[in-house]
Amino acid sequence: MTETYHDTDVLVVGGGGAGFRAAIEAARAGIRVTLVSKGPLARSGASPMAGADFTLDGKSMNELGREGDVNDSKEKVFNDIVTQGWYLNNQKLVEQYINTAKSQLSDLMDWGIDITLSDERAIFTSGIGIMDALLKQARTVGVELLEDVSILELVTNDGRVTGALGLDVRTGSFIRFRAGAIVIASGGWHKAFWPNTGMRDLSGDGIAAALRVGADIGNMEFITFCCNVFYAPPIWMGSIAPYILSLICGGRLSDRNGDDLLSGFDPVLQQKGVLTEWNKSFLSYVSAQAAREGRGLECGGVHYSRGDADWGFMQMVGGLIFPNWKYKAIDFSAWAEKLEKNEPVEVGPAVEYFDGGIVVNERFETTMPGLYAAGEAALGTFGANRVFSAITEMLVQGKDAGRFAAEFAGTEKSPDPRKNAFREAEDRACAPLSGTGGESPPVVRRKIQEAAHSRLGPIRCDKELTEFIDMLEDIQKNVLSNLSVSYTGRTYNKEWFDALELPNIVELLLASARSARFRTESRGVHFREDFPHTDNDSWLCESIVSKSEDGTTVSSRPVTVTAMTPPVGKTPYLQMMKTLIEAHSDTGGKH
Amino acid sequence: MAQKEIIVTVLRTDPDGSDAGTKKRYTVPFTDGMSAMNVLDYIYQHLDSSIAYYDHAGCGLGICARCTGRINGKAGLFCQTPVDGGGELVLEPVNKDRVQRDLVMKKKK
Repeated sequence: MTETYHDTDVLVVGGGGAGFRAAIEAARAGIRVTLVSKGPLARSGASPMAGADFTLDGKSMNELGREGDVNDSKEKVFNDIVTQGWYLNNQKLVEQYINTAKSQLSDLMDWGIDITLSDERAIFTSGIGIMDALLKQARTVGVELLEDVSILELVTNDGRVTGALGLDVRTGSFIRFRAGAIVIASGGWHKAFWPNTGMRDLSGDGIAAALRVGADIGNMEFITFCCNVFYAPPIWMGSIAPYILSLICGGRLSDRNGDDLLSGFDPVLQQKGVLTEWNKSFLSYVSAQAAREGRGLECGGVHYSRGDADWGFMQMVGGLIFPNWKYKAIDFSAWAEKLEKNEPVEVGPAVEYFDGGIVVNERFETTMPGLYAAGEAALGTFGANRVFSAITEMLVQGKDAGRFAAEFAGTEKSPDPRKNAFREAEDRACAPLSGTGGESPPVVRRKIQEAAHSRLGPIRCDKELTEFIDMLEDIQKNVLSNLSVSYTGRTYNKEWFDALELPNIVELLLASARSARFRTESRGVHFREDFPHTDNDSWLCESIVSKSEDGTTVSSRPVTVTAMTPPVGKTPYLQMMKTLIEAHSDTGGKH
Repeated sequence: MAQKEIIVTVLRTDPDGSDAGTKKRYTVPFTDGMSAMNVLDYIYQHLDSSIAYYDHAGCGLGICARCTGRINGKAGLFCQTPVDGGGELVLEPVNKDRVQRDLVMKKKK
């Protein structure tokens, strides 16, 4: 095969909101910008799946002509994001989020989005609408757009990134990218779990590639599970529709005995912990606990039904979010019948958002020169628990990462990649095509995904984490180098892609499980059954995973504090959660 | 009660082989509430991992609209076409003239 080179100034890896926003901003510098999307343009990753909410302080929202709470303020939002994050947020990144949010909503509104609803400090629009607006703007400013291209590896020289190896998914041919600066905006790693709420391209390729070239990643143990995700029937599995409905209308959650899931919990948790976006963390914990105590249903979930919620209200809300009980091509009318008759459906926690990621500073520089990261792939804004909008995050971070990456590419001449770096990466990528007698990638993947859902779920403990780490280390050492595929052609070879994604999934799950075992306390979305208290004396730090000679090591660094001093002492987990919920400012709304 | 099974026929086309597609048959266990995508996933994971269907950036929930195909002759999305337990299921590419491989279409120009 002939070698194909693609030279550019700024290479953006990822075609979600963060990637597009970074590319648009970088293009303003008048340099060459290339965005590489693993799937179709504006229809890849988590962004098109989002509801979507965009959060900012109510006062700024009002200044943009939307009815926000005028008594809300940047200071109140700061307080809320940091308390929701259990004080593990990088407060400098929280400031960047709050200060940049207004301008990013304004940009979106200029570029054309439909706002369906709003509350005190959030507007609701569609993820697809946002992506279409960004795509149009990217084309207008001249960003080069490549779709159905997967980035497999980063290449470096002289201690900095100089390019990346890409794979054309449809033809199976390689593309050698050479770039002055690279922005990783590849989102989360939902595919490491089954079930999950993400698209099938989200295998954490960008985070894993960054780790492999020496960029630090952190807080990998913090994984947000969305609660009330359909577990059954198979055609709806992974849909967050019941979550959205329950957030607005309430409803009833019960276990296999028909008992109310929430009885016995503190009234504050039952109220705020259910009817605000605190529910993702609280209800996932409650649901997981029910399953572990043997009170779960067939698929390990719980029952969701209308309960005492008014059918008329539910019908009205349903009609706004899912007109005729349809959302795009999914048809929920059978569910609507059950809601009306007060019959339950099976739901449960499923991975939805990754609070950790690549370590970045306020310029979105990673620890590797020339490499930037933005959006869900980056670490820091939300600490131990995200409640505020990740849609806002992807846009505010994408903008600044694009700007700073463009500056870097403009001032620093990039060295050529190390001789043979591309060829060696291509040889590694082709290995599964000539493997024989090895294990089948999809079989290995499903086994890992189900173990991840169980071992790295909302509730963890040393024994299960150790078993999981042992399983992953064995796979990494003995199975990954010996995968074989049954079709050895290069055209849309699904099994080959599985083989290429598996090392990334394994790497990130290992980083996460090791970090989860390392952190002997409970905080935010990380609950340790064997350490069920929040330890503000020893654990106000981010866990950091770095590449080492024979794998990775886990260490820690103190959280970055600006305006809010964290509390001290050791507090039982739910008591801490209640205290943090009650520390919310007086602004209403879902966030 | 014995596990219900369905007979699935998939029209496969290998770009490196002959032009005409070949029909391959698979026996798949049936679960209530399955979609055609669930059927393809089962075949891929348990019976024949050489099969190709659009999936590298699929949402599985009818939002991205990329898993188009023909299910028992009718065009639709694999992920949101329910499968019933009776009879046969035939899965074909949505347009036989534009096949990349098996059920994956070439990109429109």
